[in-house]
Amino acid sequence: MPVLEKKTAIKTETASARSVNWKKHMVHLFLLPALLFYIWFQVYPILSAFLNSFFAWDGLKRGAFIGLENFVRLFTESPFQETFFRGLGHNVIFFIGIVITKLAVAFLIALVINSKIRGKEFFKMVIFLPKLLSVIVVGFLFSLILNPTYGALNTFLAFIGLQEWARPWLGSPDTALYTIILVNSWYGLGFAVLIFLAGLQAIPTEIYDAAKIDGASGLTMLWKMTIPLAMPSIMVMTILSFIGAFETFELIFAMQGSQAGPYFSTDVLATYFYRLAFGSVAGGESIGLGSALAVVLFLMISSATAVLLFFFKRKEYEQ
Amino acid sequence: MRRVGVWLFCVVLMLVLAACNGGTSAPASGGQTDGSTAPATEPAKGEPVELVMYSWRTEDKEAYAKFIAEFERQHSNIKVKFKPFKSTEYNTILSNSLTSGTGVDIVQLRPYSGATSIADAGYLLPLDEVKGVAEIERTYLDAARGSDQKVYGVPLSINSAVIFYNKKLFEENGLEAPQTWDELLQVSTELQKKGIIPIAQAGKASYLLSITHSVIGTSSYGGNEYVDQLLAGQTKFTDGAFTESIKRMQELAPFFPPDFIGIDDKDAQALFYTGKAAMYINGSYRLETFEKQSTDLPIDILPALAKEKGGETPMINWVDGSYGIAKSTKHPEEAKVFVEWLASKEFGQMFSDDLNRLSAISGVTPKHPLVQKMTQLSEKSMAPFLMLVHFGEGTPTTKTTFEDSLQGLYINKIDVDKVAGDTQASADKWFKPKK
Repeated sequence: MPVLEKKTAIKTETASARSVNWKKHMVHLFLLPALLFYIWFQVYPILSAFLNSFFAWDGLKRGAFIGLENFVRLFTESPFQETFFRGLGHNVIFFIGIVITKLAVAFLIALVINSKIRGKEFFKMVIFLPKLLSVIVVGFLFSLILNPTYGALNTFLAFIGLQEWARPWLGSPDTALYTIILVNSWYGLGFAVLIFLAGLQAIPTEIYDAAKIDGASGLTMLWKMTIPLAMPSIMVMTILSFIGAFETFELIFAMQGSQAGPYFSTDVLATYFYRLAFGSVAGGESIGLGSALAVVLFLMISSATAVLLFFFKRKEYEQ
Repeated sequence: MRRVGVWLFCVVLMLVLAACNGGTSAPASGGQTDGSTAPATEPAKGEPVELVMYSWRTEDKEAYAKFIAEFERQHSNIKVKFKPFKSTEYNTILSNSLTSGTGVDIVQLRPYSGATSIADAGYLLPLDEVKGVAEIERTYLDAARGSDQKVYGVPLSINSAVIFYNKKLFEENGLEAPQTWDELLQVSTELQKKGIIPIAQAGKASYLLSITHSVIGTSSYGGNEYVDQLLAGQTKFTDGAFTESIKRMQELAPFFPPDFIGIDDKDAQALFYTGKAAMYINGSYRLETFEKQSTDLPIDILPALAKEKGGETPMINWVDGSYGIAKSTKHPEEAKVFVEWLASKEFGQMFSDDLNRLSAISGVTPKHPLVQKMTQLSEKSMAPFLMLVHFGEGTPTTKTTFEDSLQGLYINKIDVDKVAGDTQASADKWFKPKK
């Protein structure tokens, strides 16, 4: 082939390869609208919060650059310091409470549904139903049910002769937080059951048959086979519950208001943030302090989630 | 692909730069009409302009429809859209609108420090020159001033903290309305003996506790005299007189409904208008609520308690918000015309008649006998709602700190001295005594 023809052929080939390449990458253009929304509604607010936290604020007016002063005040000055650590403590209790009352219960229910029982689909549907309601509606309904004056729960307890068990569920600092954790677990139980069920159904039945032949008991199979093999779904639910517990806001806001009463007994970091940042138009330094808290919350959740992910991944590889 | 990449990079860079510019900044002072120069002039006729009016009074929507219809009848070139939001969400919505400079022309302002901070941030037009504003009582205008002492809002109504009581229940049980602290305790004991809840107090929302404190505590700490000393820095919240008023709150707890910290205001109202409770303490704005719920409820009101029998019984008053003009409005002249109408006796009278409230506009004669009574009592003696009028600043505000501490007192988490101490510690952070 003459040199010129060869060169032309190479050029044509390169051009067509480029065109294919371009078409292949065109698909990325379709991601652009979603990306723009993501940047506008996620990246921009996060960047704004980061920036706002480094400035002094007077009501709605941004003042001088003050570096890390808002963060220092948040952790060292009264009453911010006490409120922060009290809220953080409640978040931790919330997470532990959810692991016990939602994840553990959901796993047991998933095990039962995964066994050969009748009406599997019916139970799945019934358990999942609360999730179809809005959190605010759930909060409102439970506020009515738990009302100390005319609430259905106390009325029912009195009706069955357990008058002494009746109490102001949301009005006592001893019960308010645990009551909200239970409501939260009731609300999210169905979703957890579905995730666990998917994990359990992915375990091949032959493994159990082999274990039975080897004489393994039900408990041994659960401990040595089912739980390790369902670890990916347990991992997903634990991480989601962790994020949920540290972001929890709506249910507490709907049931106890932004003051998260009585006397902050249900106050978590998100309700504290809401009060600090948006509590009043008068505001004072609230935007700077609120932004600092938002940044701390963001860093805490993202780093703890990364640690959890790392821990679970390692567990997975070990198996 | 490279070009797409470059374009994408530009977009991201633009957004980052926008973020770096800071989402919130006060509007520039130029460009807009300064509002302080001339009284409003009727704009030229043409296509009607629409003014958007924000409020936290969702319950007044019907009444405002009537008021606005009357305004629009008189001003065919201006339409007003009344947009009320839930009170608890109002501050956030308003901040966002003012910051972005969109969505609102007429702003309902929280009283005192709430209005001052927005005015100081440069989001409002001054209204000193608007017709009718100068005739409004000076102390009422104080609720809507900026730090520059200019007026930024037309005060809407005066609220009074009062004890509502069920006259029928009192008569049936041979009881007389209490005037002093001792009488209140005696009457409450009698009512309780007869199976009636003496006071329908709710404690879930802690602000209700400071309203009750203002009614029963003023005579304990010494009313206006103590307030003047406090503002001058000559006394503190930890002073014996004030802690005595907190003790009163504690002593009154047995006469509240069981588990009152867990019930909200609506439950307390229900206990009162169903006749299960004999008294209910809140702002005078609840009169309209009771009228709507049960028109034949035989209620009367009591002002703050007197120090001794036959002594002074002050009305605890405060301005319940005012209407201002957002500086970002595209229709400042029309907005001024509307605000001028809000400052008129005509609007004040309609407002008082339709909503059974005390209007802040001079010369308005209330129609409702109980509102008339409140006006007469206010003319005799008045004291401020101390926490709201003078201690609404700080992060969190001293008022909120006091209210939350009272809640803590009722659930035995803290004692009386700690309530007073926390309140003083909050005030110490920002309050500067008047020289």
